[in-house]
Amino acid sequence: MVTDSDHLRNQRIVFYSEDIERIDAILCEFLKLSGSKCNLLIDKEGHMVTSCGDTDSIDEQSVAALVAGSYAATREMAKLLGEDEFSVLFHQGKRDSIQLSMVGDRTILATVFDDQTTVGMVRLYARNACEKMEEIFEEIARKPKRSGALDAEFGSSAKGALDFFFTE
Amino acid sequence: MVQINFSLKEVNCKIVYYGPGLSGKTTNLEVVHQKAPGPSVGDLTSIATEGDRTLFFDFLPLNLGQVAGMKTKFQIYTVPGQVYYNSTRKLVLQGADGVVFVADSKRGKMDENIESLKNLGENLKEHGLDLSNTPIVLQYNKRDLPDVYSIEEMEQALNSWNAPYFEAVARDGHGVFPTLKRLAGLVLETLNENHAPRRSPSVVAPKGSVTTGEGSTAATAVATQPTRALNATATSSTGKSTTRVRTTVSAVRTSTHAPKVRTQTSGTRPTLITSPRRRKRQTGMWMGFIVASTAAATVLLHLAGIIKIWS
Repeated sequence: MVTDSDHLRNQRIVFYSEDIERIDAILCEFLKLSGSKCNLLIDKEGHMVTSCGDTDSIDEQSVAALVAGSYAATREMAKLLGEDEFSVLFHQGKRDSIQLSMVGDRTILATVFDDQTTVGMVRLYARNACEKMEEIFEEIARKPKRSGALDAEFGSSAKGALDFFFTE
Repeated sequence: MVQINFSLKEVNCKIVYYGPGLSGKTTNLEVVHQKAPGPSVGDLTSIATEGDRTLFFDFLPLNLGQVAGMKTKFQIYTVPGQVYYNSTRKLVLQGADGVVFVADSKRGKMDENIESLKNLGENLKEHGLDLSNTPIVLQYNKRDLPDVYSIEEMEQALNSWNAPYFEAVARDGHGVFPTLKRLAGLVLETLNENHAPRRSPSVVAPKGSVTTGEGSTAATAVATQPTRALNATATSSTGKSTTRVRTTVSAVRTSTHAPKVRTQTSGTRPTLITSPRRRKRQTGMWMGFIVASTAAATVLLHLAGIIKIWS
């Protein structure tokens, strides 16, 4: 059961540019060291947070949704086996493979790689990258919530956008 | 829950279509996929069984466009409606910002509708939410069938907290957009209330701002404008792709919980907006008044001094 404090903490999903810049630096370093093709950082709801590497051939949004779904399903499976969760998942393909690693308690690092590297290299450097990112997320969680994150005109602008989009 | 990403200048919201099996959730998504403007909608991904029944979820990304400088996106999911897929429904519901509950209007389906609504309340509660504090819109689907419940019967059985509702024939595209538009509006209103700057309550909302005053009469917000039927020829030429992952079913668990559904009138408060230009003008007026007063006082003091010297 979700407690009130957990709920409040979970509500705070605002990523500011300065935080993402630090995360991007870690992801790009990880990309170089591991020899992977691209890295996607995805939140547990299936929204993209940021990415690094060659993502042109990937439908990021759909991959993000499926990664989150896959992770959630596997977590339930882990619980049935008496584990809290499986913190690393690995899907092997003929050409490309993908490794999913949990970062903190609400984001997932998806690493796509091919035969230019090995799963061992990816796993080794992923662990290091995840630890660094976890520290950043803990810092973000400790920061006081900034009020008025969105523009004051967001409400009126949203109404106009909805009217325009849903014109039949 | 909503993700605001200032690095990508994006706002991401999650919408879930919920309801009993075969009530038309996937059909709703297929219609949105076909009718939404081309570049704004991504591929429809379905994880379904051999018989095209949703196994895990259907997924459709929708890009509303720029809203106050932020790319606003909706990730739309459906859940599997069949009773024994409750564990997967719970997973899909995690982090939902709004829910469309698709009810089957066909006579004889009311028990399934009620069971599914109770199940929604129970699953929301597991994520720290409930029916009254989550943006929810009801859709009474299959209104074209010959033997359907009246709207009054549907309302009495399902809508005890006066959520907005729409009549629909999803198969023909009727009522699909109005339902989604209303829910998207509720989700963005909630986002606006939580994340836009606080405003002085003395300021009156200008015309055109998002006010949920209309939400207070939400119970009567029925789709009155008939929607156009889908033109299959036109939509087939859009080239949008659908990914349907078929698999053989095995599994699963059944929920036998008897949830307690809290009810509440969807009373909503207006969002107040002060235009920055108006604030600037008011500040300028006050500054001008202070400068003029100071100048007048100085002149008077000087005059008084001169008169004193003369005398």
